[in-house]
Amino acid sequence: MTRQNLSPEVVPAAGFSVREFARTAHGSHRASLDLDAYREHPLDPDTVAIVDLLARLEHGALSYLRSVLVTPTHKDARVTAFLVTWAYEKYWVADALEQVVAAHPAPQPGRGISRTKRLRLGLAERIEPITESVVANLIGDDLIATHTAAGAVDEWITQAAFEQLRDRSPHPEFVATLDRILAVKRPHAAFFAADAGDRLAASPPAVRLARRRLSRITWPLGSATEPPALVAGILDRLLPASGLALIDARVDALPGLAGLHLASTAAQKARKAAGR
Amino acid sequence: MAFDVDSYAETSMGVTWQDLDFDSFGSQPLSQDTLRTLSYMCAVEYHTVCYLRDLLVTPSHKERDVNAFMTMWNREEYWHGEALAAVLARYGITVDYDELKAARVKLEWRDKLAPLKQSILGNIIGDDFVAVHMSWGAANEWSATAAYRRLAALEQHPALSPLLQRIGQQETRHTAFYATQARKRLEKSKMARTLTRLVLAKAWRPVGSSISEPEDLDHVMRHLFSGPDGLAEIRRIDANIAKLPGMEGLTIFETAVRPHDMRWPAPDPA
Repeated sequence: MTRQNLSPEVVPAAGFSVREFARTAHGSHRASLDLDAYREHPLDPDTVAIVDLLARLEHGALSYLRSVLVTPTHKDARVTAFLVTWAYEKYWVADALEQVVAAHPAPQPGRGISRTKRLRLGLAERIEPITESVVANLIGDDLIATHTAAGAVDEWITQAAFEQLRDRSPHPEFVATLDRILAVKRPHAAFFAADAGDRLAASPPAVRLARRRLSRITWPLGSATEPPALVAGILDRLLPASGLALIDARVDALPGLAGLHLASTAAQKARKAAGR
Repeated sequence: MAFDVDSYAETSMGVTWQDLDFDSFGSQPLSQDTLRTLSYMCAVEYHTVCYLRDLLVTPSHKERDVNAFMTMWNREEYWHGEALAAVLARYGITVDYDELKAARVKLEWRDKLAPLKQSILGNIIGDDFVAVHMSWGAANEWSATAAYRRLAALEQHPALSPLLQRIGQQETRHTAFYATQARKRLEKSKMARTLTRLVLAKAWRPVGSSISEPEDLDHVMRHLFSGPDGLAEIRRIDANIAKLPGMEGLTIFETAVRPHDMRWPAPDPA
């Protein structure tokens, strides 16, 4: 059993007010979406498909919570208080994206994942909380840093995707919606990164664990069950090499996590999986 | 009783108390008994996320309606915790994240095994086990509603009673979701009915009993439900459970609460 390595007076991400974050949470975006604008000036089908995928990824908050809450992370009341509000805001981000998609003709389904792979993923999903609750409880508090670092990496990737969509879009209503979404999501990355940074700085075992586990994750979170061509649409086509490098540099800046190249490796894997 | 998750989500909000006259906590102070009960309730609300964990390890979380409800419900319960913490703060009682963490750490192995058991049962028995969770959730919410209603009636306080009523109204919506889900799943499957009846009859304990000291639980049960009026409330919520398909005749609340020296009339002969 590992011990909590932080001294009792150190509160990870102490500069982030979880209470203030909870108090100012942003709920439904529906009133500000101006969906009629899409009927007159629709987004192109590729963009709609990407928005559709991003909506599903944002809806993955509960799957993340499921993995995290069976571990010692659930005992940290400050982290869970953050996650409660984070899940709420992500629900409404996903809802806004779904509304935009619904204002268009149904997107063409991308090439799906194979039946064998789906069965394997389904089985893995059922077994995961069983094995994870045993393994994670043996590891102890050091695992929290991995969870919050994973949250940061995921936010950096998806936010970069939203920024690219915004910068490339000539559609003023869509740009306004993406700006609102980005304003909601920026504090998420800020909390995750600050929390992970403080925990990693305090514990070498937490660093070793995070390096090992983060390298094994399919980025962004939830994309393992998505059609590879769609995932490549984000990682390979939407994000420029400089964007991937920027995300990798942010990961490098977390204590002990230099040299993982998570984003650029994810893009390579996505390209290969999509057969490009 | 249908439950429209979309309209629930659209109207879900954190409970508010800023408009209530909290200065009345100075002019009409709450009793020590009430403060102790409020501390218990506050801890239970903050710990909802632990219960969410047990729900998420079963296959139900992938369903869209369940996903939406869980997200909103969990946040509303968090704000119940914040509201009650704001009341307690008026009496110098602080409930901070570190103390909550200490309570969760105390759970130790029993707690560590909980998700394991839940996920094995949930994923092997599958959908039928979701019926157990939904019925259990309904039982918890019914008892929480009853507890808030009783405390509001006992105190008749100008700030506390309306706050408890607001919290109770949100809990009523939670109950509607759980009961609708439970009913739908219990109607469909005999295995679900058998399993749910067994688990509720053998394992149901008052909400919060796993995270609190036995003497605090004793206090809360006696404070809220002792005497004939308390028993009447308990029987009222037992009747709700008994109306779920396959749960006829169950008296889980009366059975669980009676051992707490409740000064109730003797049980009806079976």
